[in-house]
Amino acid sequence: MEGKPNKEQVAIIGAGIAGLEAAHQLLRLGYAPVLIEQADHAGGHVAEWNRLFPDKAPAAPLVEELLEQTREATLILRAKILSAGRLGDGFNIRLSDGTSLHVRAILMATGFSLFEAWKKEEYGYGVYDRVLTNADLEHWFNTGDDTRIKGDLKRIGFVHCVGSRDVKAGNTQCSKVCCITAIKQAIEMKERFPEAEIWCFYMDLRLFGKKYEDFYIGAQRDYGIHFIRGRVSEVSENIDGKVIVKAEDTLNGKPVKVTLDALVLMAGMVCNRDIQPLAKELSLSIDDDGYLKSRDNIGSVTRSDRKGIFLAGAATGPKTIPETLAEARSAALDIHNFLSGE
Amino acid sequence: MIERIPGAFHPFVLPFVFGMLFVLTYCLVGMIRVFFELPREDRKRFLISLVTPKTIWKNIKDIFLNCLIHVKLWKRNKVLGYMHSSIAFGWFMLILLGHIEVMLFLPHRVRFFYYPIFFNFFVAEADATIQGKVLMFLMDISLLFVLSGILLAIYKRFRSRFFGMRRTTRPSFLDRIAMYALWAIFPLRLLAETFTAHISGGSFLTEPAGLLFHRFISNDIHVLPTWWAYSIALCIFMVLLPFTRYMHIPAEMLLIPMRNAGIKIRHPRKGFAKLEYYTCPNCGVCIDACPMSVRKENLKDCTVYLNRQLRRGNERRIAQISDKCLLCGKCSAVCQVGVQGPELRLAQRELRPYALTPDYSAIDTASMQAAVSAKPAKVLYFAGCMTALTPGIRRATETLLKAAGIDYQLMDPEGGLCCGRPLMMAGRKEAAQALIRKNVEIIRASGCDTLLLSCPICYRVFLESYPLEGIRVVHHSVFLEELMREGRLPVEYTSGSYVFHDPCELGRGCGIYEEPRAALRRIGFLHEAEKHHAESICCGGSLGSLSLGFEKRKDITMNALHNLTANDPETIVTACPLCRSTFARYADRPVEDLSEVLVNHLKSR
Repeated sequence: MEGKPNKEQVAIIGAGIAGLEAAHQLLRLGYAPVLIEQADHAGGHVAEWNRLFPDKAPAAPLVEELLEQTREATLILRAKILSAGRLGDGFNIRLSDGTSLHVRAILMATGFSLFEAWKKEEYGYGVYDRVLTNADLEHWFNTGDDTRIKGDLKRIGFVHCVGSRDVKAGNTQCSKVCCITAIKQAIEMKERFPEAEIWCFYMDLRLFGKKYEDFYIGAQRDYGIHFIRGRVSEVSENIDGKVIVKAEDTLNGKPVKVTLDALVLMAGMVCNRDIQPLAKELSLSIDDDGYLKSRDNIGSVTRSDRKGIFLAGAATGPKTIPETLAEARSAALDIHNFLSGE
Repeated sequence: MIERIPGAFHPFVLPFVFGMLFVLTYCLVGMIRVFFELPREDRKRFLISLVTPKTIWKNIKDIFLNCLIHVKLWKRNKVLGYMHSSIAFGWFMLILLGHIEVMLFLPHRVRFFYYPIFFNFFVAEADATIQGKVLMFLMDISLLFVLSGILLAIYKRFRSRFFGMRRTTRPSFLDRIAMYALWAIFPLRLLAETFTAHISGGSFLTEPAGLLFHRFISNDIHVLPTWWAYSIALCIFMVLLPFTRYMHIPAEMLLIPMRNAGIKIRHPRKGFAKLEYYTCPNCGVCIDACPMSVRKENLKDCTVYLNRQLRRGNERRIAQISDKCLLCGKCSAVCQVGVQGPELRLAQRELRPYALTPDYSAIDTASMQAAVSAKPAKVLYFAGCMTALTPGIRRATETLLKAAGIDYQLMDPEGGLCCGRPLMMAGRKEAAQALIRKNVEIIRASGCDTLLLSCPICYRVFLESYPLEGIRVVHHSVFLEELMREGRLPVEYTSGSYVFHDPCELGRGCGIYEEPRAALRRIGFLHEAEKHHAESICCGGSLGSLSLGFEKRKDITMNALHNLTANDPETIVTACPLCRSTFARYADRPVEDLSEVLVNHLKSR
């Protein structure tokens, strides 16, 4: 691109936090990253989130800081990739806005998709008036605008693992972030509705990260949130439009039935199927879970099995934000080593 | 007409006589055993049916049409039908004409039952009279008819697709031997009669052939070897018959009258069940029909192989095949002899050992009875557990009922009991009966006159196994179509196009095909799937299979979807919550229940 004649361009597909952070690092390493984003804004899913676990830190400053750090990079929004393929010792990428790039390295920071909760019809998303997803709730935290949240909520339920670890939903993997997100959102709801009683229905809690366990204990001890181990068996609606949830409390060995003012489904991360044609064009392997396949899952997570193509963030599987950022930095360094020719 | 052989005997008839006596004894003993294995009331019912004029006529008609003419095969594929009826009917004609010849010319020889079979050997100048000529001509025509069938049968072993069959059964070793013997019988008969044609006389086939052979070989020295070979081929075929697929010939002749008498499978291995699996001709039509056959590893799990294993007593495979089946019933729908694949398997499942025996008798239905009797309604809507997992269907049905002004109430607003069908499918009849009794208590307490169901799985068990005299049991597809016809449910016709998937339990299970289609025609254009009505393909989600894994069902679902979208409809419509969820998982277009599409076309008043 004009203005940066001496710097080598690197194509980054996806301007979510992985793409932004990688761009930031590549800028500092002396490259000219080009961020290609199909949406009309950068920051990906995080930009639509309200606050982040486990510190309940707001999401906006993180995205703003990343955007600030990548001001020097080229950001192409609403971009559609018309074609991508090997050309000489690099790749040629043609975009719908007429841009044509020739780069030696591509970073796939294509992220994930949110599981479409209506597919688990038994939970009533799109059927009942008071059922929403974790993303809907964050949107409501941000805007206060959601007709499904009506008045003063007295009883709220959270269903974990919606579309994750579920063969029938086509996703066997754990989404990693939903347990802790449910705890965070439950606490936030309790803060907004101090009188509310809150239930979390989980199959098991995977609280692996720093401070997660403390967060969980705090949710029970300080906020009185009920954690019920057992999958929800049936969701229905009563005459008042309230949601009736039936589940089995497997620790007590008893069925439970609660009537709720709102039910939040923790829709999981699933692979981003939109990028599969591009992956095919670039001869990238797709894993059996639908995510992009790393060269290996231990030492070379950010490398693909194709020379010059690198991977970062949730493109290869569900990741937390710190993991994604760390991978983005690692990928940037990998790209630097690759381009500086070792 | 001269009797050529005095004493009417020659040693070459002995193999035939032996074979014939053997097979007759075997079949007679078998029939008596099957008869006495039936429960007492079934035996009585069968005997009564044998002297009831109406069933006598039906039996004769069915045996003639099915065993000899093979009408069902004709309907399936003309060449396949021709092949079977030429062999069966042609052979029958040969035997019949042989007997007529003997009765006409040598009535005192009728008691030698081999005589009609080897008639041409024992007589000379049989074509001297006009009757003789006509009979000889008919014999040759029948023989030609059979030979054409045998030629097709040989061709079928190499190219079954020509007969409309993608796959055929792999014959067992004995099947092969018997099959080769069968193929040999008629050419040998032709040769034998050809070589004796200048003595006994012949017709358009045997006489010219005899003259032709006479040009370069001496016919006389070939006479005895070919008659011996013919007799031996018959002997091999008849001795092997009870142990091969050809047992279907005598078995079907007993199965038809027993079925017409209304006898059902009561025991997994005895009586009627045994008769059914001996009646299986191993034709393999069920292989192509089985939805599991899209998976190569399940090719041997269809009904023809179940029948074979049942005959062999291979318990391990019987259990495997019985458990794996989706119970879609398509094998029964296409079966040429009416073997009931699902019923046979359900009977085997009753032998299944279970570690736990649940006791449902302690369930207290008092609160449920109280709930439905509090505000009685004419229509009691049992949404069922599958509909609880697809709340959209229940909601749509309720919206339609309200729109039509139906006085209804839910039978299971707070959760009801299982209808019992899954237990029945698992071979646990007793446990299912316990639930049935409980549900009947609730239904009776409600004071309803109509029981409405959304789920065909429930519908079938309520229809077949519930003592609900005086209460109409109806599936929502029928009920809603009725309301539309009566003008109580005004809908709009739009440009949408649909295909209707016949759920196994609703279509083949309960015979409901036309009502949902009629309903759909009122709201848009209706396409048909490639295979539809009784030949529709199971969605793969069936509760019927006890052992087919979730992942393995995907191929079945994809195949069924491919079949449904052959004419590229916009929306796939079904009338079963389980089919709908199963298809929705993989479909490339919307999949909806009939109630849901109707709600979308409801005219607002």
